[in-house]
Amino acid sequence: MHHHHSLIRPVAALSAIALLSLAAGCSKSTDTGTVGSASIATSQTTSAPQAKATSKLGDLSAFRNIAADVSAIVDKGDLPAAKARIKDLEVAWDSAEAGLKPRAADDWHRLDKAIDPALSALRADAPNQTDCKKAMADLLSTFDSLQAKL
Amino acid sequence: MNTLTTPSASNWLNKVPEAALSFWIIKIMCTTVGETGADFLAVNAGFGQGMTRTVMGALLAVALFMQLRTRRYTPWIYWLTVVLVSVVGTQITDLLTDGLGVSLYVSTSAFAVALAGIFAVWFWVERSLSIHEIFTRSRELFYWSAILCTFALGTAAGDLATEALGLGFTWGAVSFGTLIALTYAAFRLGGNAALTFWIGYILTRPFGAALGDLLTQAKTYGGLGMGAMWTSALFLTVIVMLVAVAQFSVGSRMNAHAAE
Repeated sequence: MHHHHSLIRPVAALSAIALLSLAAGCSKSTDTGTVGSASIATSQTTSAPQAKATSKLGDLSAFRNIAADVSAIVDKGDLPAAKARIKDLEVAWDSAEAGLKPRAADDWHRLDKAIDPALSALRADAPNQTDCKKAMADLLSTFDSLQAKL
Repeated sequence: MNTLTTPSASNWLNKVPEAALSFWIIKIMCTTVGETGADFLAVNAGFGQGMTRTVMGALLAVALFMQLRTRRYTPWIYWLTVVLVSVVGTQITDLLTDGLGVSLYVSTSAFAVALAGIFAVWFWVERSLSIHEIFTRSRELFYWSAILCTFALGTAAGDLATEALGLGFTWGAVSFGTLIALTYAAFRLGGNAALTFWIGYILTRPFGAALGDLLTQAKTYGGLGMGAMWTSALFLTVIVMLVAVAQFSVGSRMNAHAAE
């Protein structure tokens, strides 16, 4: 049929795949490098509690900071503001899924399952402060337990 | 070859495109755009998962209706349907996994069995799984149910690789890319065309997802840090250009036929 005529296409396809694989391989090697050195650093200081704790999922402080912020707003009683702020957590968490989940899928699911009740408590038709406080406290303790696990 | 129709006539009648390089590029990019698009509606736009599912399901019904109604291959309708099938196929798997707590091992096997079932019935009725002569209503329905099933299966299998093997997007892109290359080599070495096509169709789903993640994810996670918006914009531009070229060439082929 048209095999010779269309030989250029498969060659182009294969070289594109090879190129992408190469790019992927390179960025992966730098990634494992940093993760490796990070885990060495933490294993040396496991006995001492540290300010910048990491979990198997890596550095979760950016997410925990937003959650702590939401929690503080809930404590002040401004539930609409807390509802607006927790969306930042939802968006950040959702967009980092592909990066975080492969590191420790079980831990990722634990945290994901802890974020859901916080979202639904704050987004309830008539949100109440007690439920929101409890959901945020549970979420923060999940963060802390994951960081303490190492 | 079909003895009743000349190749050019069957080409003209076929309502789905031939699997050339641009076909696979558009197909892979549709996966990423479909997923980031649905994610954007559900999370950023705040529609929620339930609402997004309803909207996407309705849009798919409209696109599929148009695709079934049209009398010949119309690139923009065909690819619009593929993007929406990609979104809905992904949502079916996500609903099973996150909403109903079905294990990925169960859903991956169930979708594999369902796909095998679709192919079995398709072959039993039509005596062929060829994608070169999709112009009867029953073949079209087989074709689109198989495609929906490959997207659901590809999503579940890709997620399973992430969960069970801890396969991140970088190694995901490498592994699925290698499998696609092997499938292509098998096709070139005389492997069954229909079989290699459908294996490629399944594998390009997790490959497209991994490729999308590689571009969108932040550098701290080993991605290129382009972000979902720029990646989608880039892919959408390429898709629109390639589909426009296909649409144009279908149009000029039609004119050439009319002139003969």
